[in-house]
Amino acid sequence: MVFEFKFPDVGEGIHEGRIVEWLVQVGDSLKVDQPFVKVETDKAVVDLPSPRAGTVLELRFQKGDAIRVGDVIAVFGTDGDTAIPAPAPSVPATAAPAAEARALSAQAPSAPRPGRLLATPHTRALARKLGVDLASVPATGRNGRVTDEDVRGFAEVPPGSLPGPRVSVDGVEVAPEPAPARPLGSAGSDPYGPVERTPVSHLRKVIAQAMALSKRTAAHVTHVDEADVTDLVALHGRLKSLAEADGVKLSLTAFFVKALASMLKAHPLLNASFDEARGEIVLKRYVHMGVAVDTPEGLIVPVVRDADRKDLLTVAREIADLAARARERRLSLDELKGASFTLTNIGPVGGLLATPIIHQPELAIAAFFAVKDRPAVHQGQIAVRKMMNVALSFDHRIIDGAEGARAASVLVKRLENPEYMLLRG
Amino acid sequence: MVVGSFAKGCQVAVVGAGPGGYLAAIRLAQLKKDVVLIEAEKRLGGICLNEGCIPSKALIHAADFLAEAREAHKMGISVEAKGVDMGRLVAWKDGVVQKLTGGVKFLAEKNGAEVLTGRARFTSDRTLEVQTDQGPQVVQFEQAVIATGSVPFPLPGFEVDGETVIGSKEALSLSDVPRRLVVIGGGYIGLELGSVYRKLGAEVEVVEFFPELLLQHDPEVREVLTRRLKSLGVGLRLGHKAMRLERGAPSKVVVQDREGKESVLEADKVLVSVGRVPSVQGLGLDAAGVKQDTKGFIQVNARMETSAPGIFAIGDVVGGPLLAHKAYREAKVAAEVIAGEPSAFDNVVIPAVIYTDPEIAWAGLSEQEAVQKGHRVVTGTFPFKASGRAMTLNATEGFVKTVADADTKRILGVHIVGADASEMISEAALAIEMGAFLDDLSQTIHPHPTLSEGLLESVEAALGAAIHVMNK
Repeated sequence: MVFEFKFPDVGEGIHEGRIVEWLVQVGDSLKVDQPFVKVETDKAVVDLPSPRAGTVLELRFQKGDAIRVGDVIAVFGTDGDTAIPAPAPSVPATAAPAAEARALSAQAPSAPRPGRLLATPHTRALARKLGVDLASVPATGRNGRVTDEDVRGFAEVPPGSLPGPRVSVDGVEVAPEPAPARPLGSAGSDPYGPVERTPVSHLRKVIAQAMALSKRTAAHVTHVDEADVTDLVALHGRLKSLAEADGVKLSLTAFFVKALASMLKAHPLLNASFDEARGEIVLKRYVHMGVAVDTPEGLIVPVVRDADRKDLLTVAREIADLAARARERRLSLDELKGASFTLTNIGPVGGLLATPIIHQPELAIAAFFAVKDRPAVHQGQIAVRKMMNVALSFDHRIIDGAEGARAASVLVKRLENPEYMLLRG
Repeated sequence: MVVGSFAKGCQVAVVGAGPGGYLAAIRLAQLKKDVVLIEAEKRLGGICLNEGCIPSKALIHAADFLAEAREAHKMGISVEAKGVDMGRLVAWKDGVVQKLTGGVKFLAEKNGAEVLTGRARFTSDRTLEVQTDQGPQVVQFEQAVIATGSVPFPLPGFEVDGETVIGSKEALSLSDVPRRLVVIGGGYIGLELGSVYRKLGAEVEVVEFFPELLLQHDPEVREVLTRRLKSLGVGLRLGHKAMRLERGAPSKVVVQDREGKESVLEADKVLVSVGRVPSVQGLGLDAAGVKQDTKGFIQVNARMETSAPGIFAIGDVVGGPLLAHKAYREAKVAAEVIAGEPSAFDNVVIPAVIYTDPEIAWAGLSEQEAVQKGHRVVTGTFPFKASGRAMTLNATEGFVKTVADADTKRILGVHIVGADASEMISEAALAIEMGAFLDDLSQTIHPHPTLSEGLLESVEAALGAAIHVMNK
């Protein structure tokens, strides 16, 4: 028996991915649950296990190819099949020569070609003209129709080495089509001088879509405040060596997570999302903190779950682990989903201020900037204090300016008086 | 001058001037290519124009006209329809064909393609040798398009002799209506020509190997056709195999049923139409490096490229449905690819028509095919007996059936049986090619009173909102 492995729906909102590496070759035998391919999705690289034991008959995509949910990516023989099956004839073959001859012309003439081609002939021609594989273009039209705009938009951000159109004639194997390939990182020039074109990664495409979506959706307001973190820095210094004894590198970010968790208890509207379709605000009864991690490929936001209920040491350990694995692209999808609020600690990179973009569908995001020695009035005296800027972007559709400001001031209080977190959590 | 002494050079050589070949040549010439169009026959147009689509439709029209004339008294018209003068009918048909083939030659040459008459054979992947009346002529090309079409499948024991045993070609030029005609093969050619000769007065028996006519079709379609053939008086020997022919006056066709029981059909003429095979004999495909599949059809990709770089193939010779309009589209793709355009054959549907009485036309999937492909299916049917226009035409036989995906409401297929089905199917082909949904059609105004309202009504029936029939 032959089993076709279709790229499964691996998680909410994941429609496409890319083959990173085949872990098996045609002819290899497979055990149940043996991972056979590494696939990069919107958010992570995942190993897909085989649901059945058998022999690999066919690997339908190349390393780097884009795949969509539902695509048959591999074919396994499960009952000792070792040969690639021939396509079944469209009309049952019979013994009589007359009948056989009839079969030649009796093929159903108008059976639609395989593959998803819900696009008008004009759009299909446009895709060919632009060298775009229609099957890879995310569709925005009704019921999955690919529009001219989809094709044009896709052509502007070519996601790397895509396969040529996989067209077959009457289900018969046809010679591979010369790919209308756009060379990787091609050099050239525009009217103003030399340029270099580089295809964007899959992750970059996802980030681009997510950021543009947020800017279109939310009514961003960024509230800025400053915190005197002299005490926090001192506390951090004392606890750091204790944490080290436990094998944990205690980061300032862990303190920020705890301070935010404490603030969100007092201002639950910032720990929520807006269900516009139903006209409802969804208050989250949990605090799952998204922590922005800068990786060579781009921004990844793993989630520290129940940050309000974990101690500082646990939070620190989890952040370190998540960040390390994010840089290696070894996070599971579950570790990237379900944040109720996000923070970004831009301090180590530098800068005075920035206005962070909210991570949809959340309603607010906090950014922490560099801790600097600055002159400040402390207990009636001018003193050198450790000062830090904090920016809180929130969605004014739901959170008014005064509420955002109040939340920011609570956050500053927690940062300035870290002991408070011992008292109330 | 000895023609063969100089090789003729060109950018593109097109071998075969049927619908695929002549269209490819014209389009290539339009795209500024230097083209030689090579045809073995004196007249261009291939099977379609000379001995297929066009002449058969001329005869079908004549036969229908006679049949209608005999019914005219119902409308109070007195016409005396005695019968047909086969000689004059064939002459009229030949006039139509001549006008069309002449037109093709004019168009090809006017666009700048050179027409060369003679049988061509590849001697390498860049040269052809053409046997012209003046001797062999070598043609050197940069690229070539093979459009040699198909030939009738020869049935052993029933070799065409032009006298007793005839093929579709001879059947279109008979000097008299045979008294008894046995048609071997109940495919569309056999049914079309069988119906013609029945209407012109012959006793017709159709021998079909399969237990049903047009097996790949919707059962409802087959039912209407079978009923009509029976009412015309066409004899159907379904599930019968033609075993042998005993020549004489009359000749005897021995047929065998599924149980092995033999019976004898008397015949003045035997029409053999049991399918067609690619026309590649003596073409020198090996010398050109062009690969064929196990059935002999040339293998091509969506750009109509064969296994030999620079050599393309289109039409019947590449297999699939053997239809002129499929060849037309493939010809355009090949010509455009040769001209450097990003063309490809990515059509969703190839509509098809059978000119039986009533006509059968379809585009896309049948209900059964849609189910097999995993669709949850919804269908809507509109019978022409509920159509005002059909009544005024005295043509209430048949129906329109629309097949759609029940979840997305996307139209997957349309099947029409009835008068002028051939003219109505294009709307369905457009709808499916555009990815239309049921409401795209239901919200399009169709003129009244027309037969094409049948499609609208069938779509509305699929939506559970038909007006002129009761909804299921």
